[in-house]
Order: sequence, then structure tokens, then C-alpha cells
Amino acid sequence: MAVTEGQRRSATFIWGISVRKVVYMALGAALYGLLSVPTNFLQLPGNVSIRPAIVIPLFFGAVFGPWVGLFSGGVGNFIGDLVSGYGVYWNWDVGNGLIGFIAGLAMYITWGRYNNTRLIVIGEIFAAVGIIVGLASAAFSDIIVSQTTASAASATYVSGLIPDLILGLILLPILLVAYNAAMARYGRRSAA
Amino acid sequence: MLMTFAYIERDSFVHRLDPRVKLVLLFAFSFAMYQTINFWVVLTGFLISLIYYNSARLKWSETKRTWKFVFVLVGVIVCANFLLSGGNVVPGLNVANEHALFSIPFLGFQRHAPFVELTPLTFTVENITFMFTQAMRILSAILFAIPISYTTNPGHLGVSFSGLGVPDKISYAIDLSLRFMPTLARDFSVTLDAQRARGFEIDKLRGGIFSKVARLAPMIVPVIIGSIVGAEDIISAMELRCFGVAKRTWITQLHMRPIDSLLIVLGLLWFIVITTINIIGVIHSGPWNFLHGQGIPHFLAP
Repeated sequence: MAVTEGQRRSATFIWGISVRKVVYMALGAALYGLLSVPTNFLQLPGNVSIRPAIVIPLFFGAVFGPWVGLFSGGVGNFIGDLVSGYGVYWNWDVGNGLIGFIAGLAMYITWGRYNNTRLIVIGEIFAAVGIIVGLASAAFSDIIVSQTTASAASATYVSGLIPDLILGLILLPILLVAYNAAMARYGRRSAA
Repeated sequence: MLMTFAYIERDSFVHRLDPRVKLVLLFAFSFAMYQTINFWVVLTGFLISLIYYNSARLKWSETKRTWKFVFVLVGVIVCANFLLSGGNVVPGLNVANEHALFSIPFLGFQRHAPFVELTPLTFTVENITFMFTQAMRILSAILFAIPISYTTNPGHLGVSFSGLGVPDKISYAIDLSLRFMPTLARDFSVTLDAQRARGFEIDKLRGGIFSKVARLAPMIVPVIIGSIVGAEDIISAMELRCFGVAKRTWITQLHMRPIDSLLIVLGLLWFIVITTINIIGVIHSGPWNFLHGQGIPHFLAP
């Protein structure tokens, strides 16, 4: 559906939930839930599991807005738990949702367009903040949920933070550039 | 890649429960258990959760992979928590003021060089009780969480969330995400095979950390971008059917039975009672003193 530039740059564009955003929410959650499980075997040096799927809530948040990022991360993690059968851990669902939500706040500056280096860097900064805050929320909420100590929670946090930062910040610009190319080819702009 | 949900179709008490009941019980029970460190309250909750899990009639062969993961997770949380805190695990208590049983030599941190020193790791009545309490509390929540995956039809989750007051658009998005999964699993499998035919080896990524990560792109990027482009048809179809204009109806209708309502009431009552005890604090009423603190009997910790 065609929109004017004035309609694009409005609060509704960022915070409204249109049909398009409902579908992208569902898509982001399904992709995150699906890709989280089979990539568990991938390892970085030092026996640290890597999750390339972490880029999905970052990407969907950055391009389609904070609500899409929140849903992709939170419900996607919930779906991943359903598929794996390991049980539902609500505080980690909330943490993953926060990752996508904060990454989506980049829309206030980028308006969902990443067609130059400056905008991609802005997206990366919000993504990094999202990972730092979201993972902290998940790991340190275990102090209340599982009554772990701060040191144990810190160890969990650091072991997850570094791989997620590396993966997210490397794969996100690749995805943004690929998305721009795909949208240019199909003659469409990013979500309205 | 064949993608299946963990759901197993079976006729058991938990299978027959309304999905909303299972979700409410999970959250009410978990939030209640997370509030208390009292051994007797947690033990009661643990026994209740064992009865609930047992009534789902899940076989060990169906869930053993999950339980192996759970036992490792619980073991790591409890033990790592104990070791990293040097035995000071009981909130509000210092191990020096507790009733010591025995000590073993262990490593501890210090503020000056060499920053690590031999310190005794003390096992006390209080911290051992806490470890058991902590393990039971985590397992209690997991015993309510695991049956959701195995006993709930994924197709009923969207209408369940709608029945719990979640807006229709969000509930439908949950439903749609579950419907997307088999299609995306197929696309992922096809993409991976196509990339392998072009020489992409997922399990033999070469180079440094950054090169390895960048080489994951051929696996992930085509799936994500392809699915976004393909979603345009779904968006058009939904817009043509005026999605979101009026209140949505669902093809599946969930009906609460008396037992479902009773379980929700009992779950919420459990949460209210635990929360009330937590807010009131100390109960100085003779026979109810065991609900205070960890509930350790006097003869163990005089």
C-alpha cells in the first residue's frame, strides 16, 4: 500500500500494528524459534555455543519496529522452547523480547531504512544496546527466579553476551544490505 | 529438515485440560514458588507439581532428552551458585553465622595479589537446606512447564491467548507463527542443501572468529529474505479479507469445564496465600512457626 513521506515519519509508523506488522511479527517469531534449535551445535573456540539466530529479533526490530522486534524475540524464544520441549522459561522470553524491542527503537532515527553506512551504524548501536540490556534482564532475573547469586548470574551473562554481540553485529549489516537489495529488486519499501 | 512440535496426542488428565488452565497454572505456581525459600512450602509445591506431571502420563522415553538437559541445568545452577558464592547462598544470612557441619578446602577470591587463595568452603545446615530448596523450586516450575509442550496442541495456543485477554492481533500473530514453522523448516532445509551443493560446509567453517561468523550468512540470509518477500502474498490476502477491521472469531472454540475453573481458582489461591505469607513476614503463631524463614527444625539448628 503506498504511503506519503508524512505518513511514514509518524508515531503510528513506529508504534502502530498494521496487518503487515502482524505478519512480520509471526514471521520473525517463527524464524527465531526455528533457527535457535538446530544451530546449538555450532561452537566458537572455548566451547561457547553460538546462536546466529540472535540476528533475527535485531533485524526485524530494526526494520519493522520495536513491537515486531519484541514479538520476534519473546514469542520466538517461547516457540523455540516449545519445539525443543525443554519447558518455558518466561524470564528468558522477556529478555529476548527486550533485545528486539530496543533494537527496534532505532526506527526513531532510521525510519526503517538502512541504505547508507551511517544508518547501518545507528542500527548496530541500538542492536548492541539491545543485546546488552536484554541479556542482562534475562540473566540477572535468574537471581529472583532461580535464587542464583550475582556472581553466577554474571557468569551466565558474560558467556552469552560476547557470542551474541559478535554474531549480531556481524550478521546484522549483511542482512540489512541484502534486504535493501531485495526490496529494490521488487520495487517495495520497508514496512508501513 | 523435518520439524515437529513436541506435542504428543494422548488422552490424559492434563491433555484434557483447557490450554488456558495450563498457562495460568504455570505462571501462578511459578511466581508463587519464586517468592519463598521455606523448605516445607517448597516441598509441598514440589509434591503438587509431581502429581500434576504424573497425571500427564508422559513416558520417560519421550521426555528423557528434555530431562537430561533439565538435570544438568539444575545441577549447574545449584552447584555453580554455591561454589561461586563460597557457600553464602542463603539470602540475608552469612555463612559465618550459620550452623556449620564440615568444611573442605577450596579456592576463594581476595582483593590483593595473587587474588586467589585457599579458603574453607563451609557446608552448613542452612546452605545445604537452601540448595535442596532451590533445586526443588526450579524443578517444580519445570514440572509445570514441560507438559505445556507435550500436552498442548500448538493450533490451540492462539485462541488460548485470546481467551486470556491478549488482543486478537497478537493472538493471531502467535497462531500464524506456528503455522509458518513447517514451511520455514522446509525452506531452511532446501536452502542448506542448495548451499552445500555449491560447496558451503556448515560444520567446517574456516578462518578466525569473524570469518566463521560471516560465513554463516549463506545459510541464514536467503531464508530470512526469501520468507519476507514470500510473506507479501499473505499480507495481501489478509488485507483483502479486511483483517483487523472487526473483532476476530476463531474456528476452535475453547470451553471451560468445572475442573478447569477449579484448577485456575486453586492456582491463584496458592499464589495469593504464598504472597500473603511473604508480605506478612514472620508468623509468630506457635504451630505455624515452621513457615518462617527456611523452616529448619530447631533440633537441626538450635
